[in-house]
Amino acid sequence: MNRYALSTLVAAAALAAAGGASAQSIVIGSLDDLTGPTSANGKEFAAAKSDAVKWINANGGINGKKLEMLSFDYSYKAPVAITTYKKWAGDNPRPQVIYGYGTADTEALSAMVNTDKVVYLSHSFSANLTDPAGTSKKVEKPTPYNFFHGPSYSDGCRALVQWAAADFKKKGGKGKAKFVYMGDNHPYPNSAKEACMAYAGKQGMEVLPVIQYSMAPADFKAQCLSLKETGANYTYLANAANATIALLKSCATVGVKTQYLTNIYAYSEPVMTAIGDAADGVVAPIHVAPWGTDVSGMRRVREIGGAEPKSTFYMAALCTMMYLREALITADKSGGVTGENVRKAMYAKANWEPEGLAGVCAPATWTDKDHRSVIDVPIVQGTMSGGKPGWKKLDVVHLGREAEWFGR
Amino acid sequence: MKSGLLLQFALNGLIIGTLYGMVAMCFVLVFKASRAVNFAQGEFLLVGAWLCWGFMSQLGVPLWAGFLLTTVAMALLGALIQAVVIRPLIGEPVISVIMVTIGLSVVLRGITLWIFGPEPKSFPGGSGGATVNLAGLNIEAVYLWGAGAAVIGMAAFAWFFKYSRLGLAMRATAFNQQVAQSLGVSIQRIFIVSWAISALVSGVAGVVVGVVNGISPGLSLFGIKVFPAVILGGLDSIVGAIVGGIVIGLLENLAQFVDGEYLHWGNLYVVAPFYALVLVLMLKPYGLFGTRDIERI
Amino acid sequence: MSTGTSRRCGDFRTRYAQEMTWFPSPRSAAACAIGLGLLLLAPLVLKNYGLALLIQIGYLGIAALGLNLVTGFTGQISLGHAAFFGFGAFASAWLSNRHGVPVLLAMPAAGVLTALVGLVFGAPAARIKGLYLAIATLAAQYILEDFFNRATWFTGGAAGANAQPANLFGFVFSGDVRYFYLVVVAVVAMFGFAANLMRTRDGRAMVAVRDHYLAAEIMGIPLARYRILAFGLASFYAGVAGALMGHYVGFVSTESINILLSVQMLGMIIIGGMGSIMGSLLGAAFMVLMPEAVEGLFHALGLIGGGADKGLVYLKEISIGLVIILFLVFEPEGLAHRWRQTKAWWKLYPFTH
Repeated sequence: MNRYALSTLVAAAALAAAGGASAQSIVIGSLDDLTGPTSANGKEFAAAKSDAVKWINANGGINGKKLEMLSFDYSYKAPVAITTYKKWAGDNPRPQVIYGYGTADTEALSAMVNTDKVVYLSHSFSANLTDPAGTSKKVEKPTPYNFFHGPSYSDGCRALVQWAAADFKKKGGKGKAKFVYMGDNHPYPNSAKEACMAYAGKQGMEVLPVIQYSMAPADFKAQCLSLKETGANYTYLANAANATIALLKSCATVGVKTQYLTNIYAYSEPVMTAIGDAADGVVAPIHVAPWGTDVSGMRRVREIGGAEPKSTFYMAALCTMMYLREALITADKSGGVTGENVRKAMYAKANWEPEGLAGVCAPATWTDKDHRSVIDVPIVQGTMSGGKPGWKKLDVVHLGREAEWFGR
Repeated sequence: MKSGLLLQFALNGLIIGTLYGMVAMCFVLVFKASRAVNFAQGEFLLVGAWLCWGFMSQLGVPLWAGFLLTTVAMALLGALIQAVVIRPLIGEPVISVIMVTIGLSVVLRGITLWIFGPEPKSFPGGSGGATVNLAGLNIEAVYLWGAGAAVIGMAAFAWFFKYSRLGLAMRATAFNQQVAQSLGVSIQRIFIVSWAISALVSGVAGVVVGVVNGISPGLSLFGIKVFPAVILGGLDSIVGAIVGGIVIGLLENLAQFVDGEYLHWGNLYVVAPFYALVLVLMLKPYGLFGTRDIERI
Repeated sequence: MSTGTSRRCGDFRTRYAQEMTWFPSPRSAAACAIGLGLLLLAPLVLKNYGLALLIQIGYLGIAALGLNLVTGFTGQISLGHAAFFGFGAFASAWLSNRHGVPVLLAMPAAGVLTALVGLVFGAPAARIKGLYLAIATLAAQYILEDFFNRATWFTGGAAGANAQPANLFGFVFSGDVRYFYLVVVAVVAMFGFAANLMRTRDGRAMVAVRDHYLAAEIMGIPLARYRILAFGLASFYAGVAGALMGHYVGFVSTESINILLSVQMLGMIIIGGMGSIMGSLLGAAFMVLMPEAVEGLFHALGLIGGGADKGLVYLKEISIGLVIILFLVFEPEGLAHRWRQTKAWWKLYPFTH
């Protein structure tokens, strides 16, 4: 019946529309979330990706070849990510690199990209994507083709905990510092929970029971009352931006006094502006230099992105794109851009900062045994003065490459 | 047992509950009049919040003026939606109407994303400003205004449905459309009015929630919270909706109190209302105040 | 069933058996066989993308059919179907990973486990009716979601569960072409079972419960039994569908098992046509292909290029919602009804009846 014809027609149309790349261009895929639940982050990532592609093509391309990025808004729906991947897999030329997005698509596609040998960059920093050879025995499937730039969610939280323990002593705290992990019972917030709470215990903190708050923003005064009752000294907020905004506002109203720690995707300049004064003082592990930091690489950032200030989300995607650029250049020189060659190119340098971006992206090291790219985690504190967000650099926490933490 | 803390939780639950009740009331209004279950209720809240924000930031008007403009705009929107989307489906099985409201929610969400963008924003002029201290609990003044509005609204609706002509006409339509029509009631007008009022009140609730918690596309999920309240109170009872809302608000907060102090399971705040709902439905299948469907053979 | 389609003049049935055939006429049966044949030849024409779409339509169609059994045929609205879908996926992965059950056995076994869970939630259905039941199933959805996130022994918690590809005596069903055939077999089996069910006594009892349960009860049909049976069957279908999805993607996570999926499945049966077996498949096809078609249309018109063309991305979202609304405004009874009308028009042209 018509449904077969229709699907063939759609497939043909999509293929015809998508496969417009010439032989002298390098095609990569890109998944965005512009209309789904994390669209606030997704919009920034997408802007950075497209600005980076424009700049790359205006500045020599990939060894003279044009870089083409096929973007698709998958609305954070895993089935759509899968069909898009299949669509690209049928293209000619077929993308050898996909710049993915978050937990939903990365996890859904990880089995496929590792079988098909397609390099998959993501903004999901889940710890179970860090073991390429299966040596940790903690991940069920090794993921040699999954890469991300930044500390894993667990490592980020561990770094915060280490900072907090030192901070507690520095401020003259007596006895054990109280630590609370707050988040929804959902894969994204849960990803760092066990690792972080275990490490907090190891650092001599008193680990209080988890307080749950949903990913959907709501009135969180009840949870804030519970938090206030616990008297926690350090509170880690694991959800994404929308819920964390509501939580910080509710807790400010209730009058909770605690040092907030949060994850990288819950906190950036636009988020701070939306929260208002309650955003002042929150500490986060941000592995990129915020806009306007006095480092030589900021000039290149302005070249790529323009004169308007950009958020830390934008910077994170920009860094990943520039790492990709260098990996593509290396791969193209040594035998052509295939998934395997790009993967090898990612292992080429240690303590790698993208060329021209000195001081902007935390130096990364990928090896074929360990995809934990950043283990020297910059700890940054956000400030709000007069309604304007700002940043204060606190410390760089050196986590070791502990075998025990690998994959968790 | 920490009675002071418990009181704070109860108070918070009461205030938030009236807000839930307000949204549940909108739901019931639409159902009572046009037998349609409105799955786009959450999006109405979102649209109301964004409209008020838009008025305030683009026209530079203060909150109360933006608020009034929003009420007018939402009433018009409600009437428009009824005329364009719901009216063609009069007489169709209720499940088709449900699906249309689902489609409507997708459209509204897309439109707000397009016009206002996905980034969360806060209302100009800070969040609710003043806080009031009741029994040790700080509550945003806006919530109290919202709660007060809800109570006044409930009283107004109770009077409206009992004594005014239009209210009586609406009840008649809800009871039996054909008989009401044969007695000269204009069904079209009733439907438009009920949707307009429902949209208006949702917009108000949306503004209250948005002022306190900031506006983001996630605000529409507030609508899902309302379903247990509506069912608890009974789908066709306005009083039931408010009571249901308050019960859910109290239940959530008391569950959080118990969870935070004693059980430490973590999830009670979210699931307690649903467990309670299932229990109530086992005992009273039509909700606490719903009219029992008398089956005639 | 053979009723509901206009037949040609002179086509008289003289025996019950003739009345109860699956297809209304030999021609209709032949058309179905040809269609099935074409489907089996599809991998020669379609590449992975097209096959992936068909596979998705296949397992979502099975889930939609389950929902149609309980909602369309028995009249009980269920908003928790996605939770059962997810449960089946997790159960199948758990059985094949932890207990070494071969995948092809784990899938139906997962279906049975899901059916048992469905029976538990179906029990209150005997008392609760209509929209109240819808919300009770919504509660079931949230309760099960919470269970998935908590029961890390079952679901693997935040990391999710990896599901292996199916393996039949060494023939591994990896890759889209092989899995496509597996899904075709599953679809034919499940749909055949449902079509058969509807022409038996139990099927007719379910329809009677939907149409006028008082009359049905008076005639001696035990209401509670058939309502619970419907829930159990629907859960079985959802479980098998979930298992098929899990072993195709290779990974099961709670990220995608949420209320939106339940609503989408409800949408599939409403748009496809409630109370119609074929409608379930049509509705699933509509929901899967429509966003792709809208996307393809926008691409073909050159509107969405590389990079974030933000305004038009939102327009795509809006158009999907608009298509649903417009479709329902013009055809509230679903695709199956429209199909029947089209067939009738074709047969009777130039007459109107």
